Amino acid sequence: MKYVGQSIERVDAIRKVTGQAQYVGDFHMPRMLYAQVKRSPYPHAKIISIDVSKAEKLPGVRAVITGECYTKRCGLYLEDKNFLANKTVKYQGEAVAAVAAETAEIAQEACDLIEVVYEELPAVTNAIDGMKPDAPLIHPDLHTYKVAPIFFPKPHTNISHHYKLRKGDVDKAFQECDYVAEHTYYIPHVQHVPLEPHVAIAQYEYDGKLTVWASTQSPYAVRQALSVAFEIPLNKLRVISPYVGGGFGSKAGTTIEGIIIPLAMRCKGRPVKLQYSREDEFQNSYVRQGLHCKIKTGVKKDGRIHAVKNEFVWDGGAYTEYGVNIVKAGGFASAGPYNIDNVWTDSYCVYTNHPVGGPYRGFGMCEIHFAIEQNIDIVAKEIGMDPVEMRRINGLRVGDKTCMGETMVVSGYHECLEEVIKDIGYGEKSESTNPRKVRGKGIAAGWKSPSMPTNAGSAAIIRMNEDGTFFLMTSGQEIGQGSDTALTQIAAETLDVDPKLITIRTGDTDHTPYEWQTVASRTTYCAGNAVKLACEDLKKKILELAQIKLGAYKRDLEFKDGYVVHKIYTDRKVPLSEFALGLAFDDGSGVGGPAIGVGTFTLENNINYDKETGIGEHPVAFWTIGVNGAEVEVDLDTGEVKVLRMVSCFDAGKVINPETFCAQSEGAMVQAMGTALFEELILKNGHILNKNFVDYKIPTADDMPELDVKYIEHAEPTGPYGARGVGEPLMVPGAPAIANAIYDAIGVRFNRMPITAEEVLKALKEKANK
Amino acid sequence: MVLNGGTDVVIQLRDRLINPEYVVDIKRIPGLDELRFSKEEGLHIGACVNMNRLGGDENVRTYYPFLANAALSVGSKQVRNRATCAGNLINASPLADTSTPLLCLEAVLEVEGPDGKREIPINEFFVFVRKTTLQKDEIVTGIRVPYYEGAEGIFTKVSRRNKVDLSTVCSTVMKYAGQYRAAFGSVAPTPRRLPKTEACLNEGPLDDARIDRAVELALSEVSPIDDVRASKQYRLDVVAMALRRGLESLG
Amino acid sequence: MKYHVHFYVNGDAYDLDVPANKTMLDVLRDDLFLTGTKEGCGAGECGACTVIVDDVPLNACLVLAPELDGVHITTVEGLSDGPKLSPLQQSFIKHGALQCGFCTPGFLMSATALLNENPHPTREEIIDSISGNLCRCTGYKRIVEAIEEIAARGQTAETQE
Repeated sequence: MKYVGQSIERVDAIRKVTGQAQYVGDFHMPRMLYAQVKRSPYPHAKIISIDVSKAEKLPGVRAVITGECYTKRCGLYLEDKNFLANKTVKYQGEAVAAVAAETAEIAQEACDLIEVVYEELPAVTNAIDGMKPDAPLIHPDLHTYKVAPIFFPKPHTNISHHYKLRKGDVDKAFQECDYVAEHTYYIPHVQHVPLEPHVAIAQYEYDGKLTVWASTQSPYAVRQALSVAFEIPLNKLRVISPYVGGGFGSKAGTTIEGIIIPLAMRCKGRPVKLQYSREDEFQNSYVRQGLHCKIKTGVKKDGRIHAVKNEFVWDGGAYTEYGVNIVKAGGFASAGPYNIDNVWTDSYCVYTNHPVGGPYRGFGMCEIHFAIEQNIDIVAKEIGMDPVEMRRINGLRVGDKTCMGETMVVSGYHECLEEVIKDIGYGEKSESTNPRKVRGKGIAAGWKSPSMPTNAGSAAIIRMNEDGTFFLMTSGQEIGQGSDTALTQIAAETLDVDPKLITIRTGDTDHTPYEWQTVASRTTYCAGNAVKLACEDLKKKILELAQIKLGAYKRDLEFKDGYVVHKIYTDRKVPLSEFALGLAFDDGSGVGGPAIGVGTFTLENNINYDKETGIGEHPVAFWTIGVNGAEVEVDLDTGEVKVLRMVSCFDAGKVINPETFCAQSEGAMVQAMGTALFEELILKNGHILNKNFVDYKIPTADDMPELDVKYIEHAEPTGPYGARGVGEPLMVPGAPAIANAIYDAIGVRFNRMPITAEEVLKALKEKANK
Repeated sequence: MVLNGGTDVVIQLRDRLINPEYVVDIKRIPGLDELRFSKEEGLHIGACVNMNRLGGDENVRTYYPFLANAALSVGSKQVRNRATCAGNLINASPLADTSTPLLCLEAVLEVEGPDGKREIPINEFFVFVRKTTLQKDEIVTGIRVPYYEGAEGIFTKVSRRNKVDLSTVCSTVMKYAGQYRAAFGSVAPTPRRLPKTEACLNEGPLDDARIDRAVELALSEVSPIDDVRASKQYRLDVVAMALRRGLESLG
Repeated sequence: MKYHVHFYVNGDAYDLDVPANKTMLDVLRDDLFLTGTKEGCGAGECGACTVIVDDVPLNACLVLAPELDGVHITTVEGLSDGPKLSPLQQSFIKHGALQCGFCTPGFLMSATALLNENPHPTREEIIDSISGNLCRCTGYKRIVEAIEEIAARGQTAETQE
């Protein structure tokens, strides 16, 4: 292939190195107002009264709103959310009122003048406690909420979804096992930490048109949610998403937009801007849900995993409109990339008075694999088998059935595993020059499928200009992952034109066509398919005209380097630009009209699984599988862990752009390392103790290990040029690989992230005392 | 409110923790950015000398390498281009990185106020968390650090992340003329010397038993707390480790 | 109260009356519309607002507006000479040292300041100079490599005539 599989320069690179790339925060508009938010100091409280009179009187204040102004709930899968608290506050920091004013300072001062009287309520600060029958109810009206039919809230409890997977006969299978063990793990809340905090601007015109500029991954999903919440028809609601300064899931769904719209509606004609601070970002965007995880594993003497029983309890936070789907995804992937005949999983989404859980790169997979992949190592060691051997025995092969009962049509598990074993030098001990430091190596695998509605759709339009250049329009959102570049390459390949001739336009619901969301590692796959179909549509239309022009059957014509060329008589060719406005004849007449191609994609035969068992023939679009290896060095005196090296190998189907693929792999490993070693949103009685960069540390350049990226390519049958999604899966095996390496170094298991120096030193002391 | 490097003041303004009527920038007062050294007079660090300049200065690197290391362990390069050594002390954080080398070096703060000039020895400077003996209308104009012929010191900083982090514990162990000095940060409301530990170390030859006893005494002289950065126990473990490693490498 | 300040950004002179409670970052972004300099935390912890002030990299969010008087500032907008990108900017593109791009201007400024001061920094010096710049997308590898290439060439980072 000419353009697919090539490392072309990122199409957004020049703008980004010159500071010309515009993010929402960079927009300055005439007569713009600035919003600030009044937030709850309590994790759970009844709002007795809100007095906004002093705030309203402050000069420069243009609008003040409270939750009473808009009481309609909304949400992606479960309509449980108000943008401003209504009657009760359910987490510390929840918005109770908001102000729009001439300056941000005046808005802040006005917020300070708002008087709210609360009556504190007992809070749920642990998901396990939240499941107990006597737990305070966070959503007493849960039974009345509108919910997508694949989710099952339990009325009059804090359980907003109970996902069940039932494959085979687990109880019988455990009895047939030679060895059965149960282990528990805990994965705390972490935050995405995009470098750009959330920001949005809303402007409401007198004719009822509402325009929202938002730093979002999902302009169409935002439009839908806001349309429901504020009862605005979709043709009057325009969402524009320019460059986004990192998302990692935090900018999927709606957060900030719902606060400024009611303000904008009260300040007609004037744009209202709300910019989150870093503290807001930690507390009021989304966080990755916490997870309590119990895994019971039964194996046979030969190392075959015969039965698994999982209980996942997710700390969903105050609203789980999006979180329920993570709980589902974690549940249906709960066996990991292994061929296991008997699987029983209960995955619960539990309301707590914690920050709102939402999508985070991996969508539940990073969390469950921290458990699954350590568990494999533990069980292997317990039966005296090398963990790598156990992975070889149980890893999914083509033809095997997943825990959901579908048949694997592609699987690169074993090749990735062997590649990483070789690259990391698994089994070969390396020694530190410092006698107080010890080294170890670990391996972990991971898998992920897009957890999206089975009929999630994508559309693309390709337009040819008079000079043979193109506009490619989709609403796949560039959030740093390189989608603009990958989609351009797919178009260039399909049309056989230089990618430099194609300009991609995205992120405007009035002008760029539908895209469900830029999440689920689906953009290259879904939007990519739509782009390919659009280009094929354009080709078909042009070939119709070209056969007239060239006097040849279209089956003998092809697109080549910007021309329609006869396959046999290659000197018979016409530049594509001649068809830009249709075909013109010598007598002045024409046919065909301007050249435009349309492509729409929904994966066919992608069918929901059975509600009671979780089993289905084809419940997900595809599975992406890969393996990480890690080598660490542990300081025995301080407990500090230095990750020396990380290696990644994934089956990417087809890598559209090797450079951007490798770059994403590197970023994913370092992000995984951050969660493994440093990151935790420290919650105490519902309060976040470290909502800033002083006390929430992400890796710096200094922490970066040596990184090595490999990939294999077993084409995805339904993917564009064989590609499948990789952005999220790449992060999944990193943290457990590090945990396994730490075990290899010091012989201590950590069933909780992050594995801080303090935790390591404590464990080393305990081990020495034994 | 005095503005020097501003790395604390500007954040306090932003977080609305302070609301001063006036902020007075002292950075352009002539002479306050002076950094000079002679063996006779020792080191003079003007109030406005930033951490990168202090840590990169040839004389400081040669004669006070552990002070240079402490200065360069503060924040990021950008922050060190603003943050000053004087500000680090005046801020009176229990974990001020340059405080432990300066405590061991028995630095003196030069202070000027309406009543003229005075000097405050560093061991009389810190009172409590964010409280010093500096009066409201006084400013620190410089820090004087005596020169110790042949002194050696080890600065240790343990933090959650290797770069750009606050100290979980910081410490300096110094040896001069056969005598040891030790100071620790983030283990008490103020950074502090450990007199009993030092006395023990200076009673006789440094052998394993003496190191063990010194470590035991050090643990009795510090009173760290549990906080979001670390537990009390971890801090105690690090105190023991830092003292041991310091003494072992000083010999 | 406002203070009159006279200063230079990317070689252009400015005269402004600025309030004392604004920061250099606010002035650059909101008054001069030089929005290439980003705000990621407002607390000097992320480096997205790094600019070069009188030859040294600073966090613009930690400098108060009245301190602008008399200073020379270089922002990311000043790195390229018209359409001609600086060698470091070109190297960032070549190495794919950017993803979402939000942290990129800050990294470019930190690295440019380093290379101007020391054209042949070691890897350790490079890492020390960019440890105050956070990036969540790249894992840093390509950023370090992009700077190393210029360091190996010994070119200063800014555009040469």
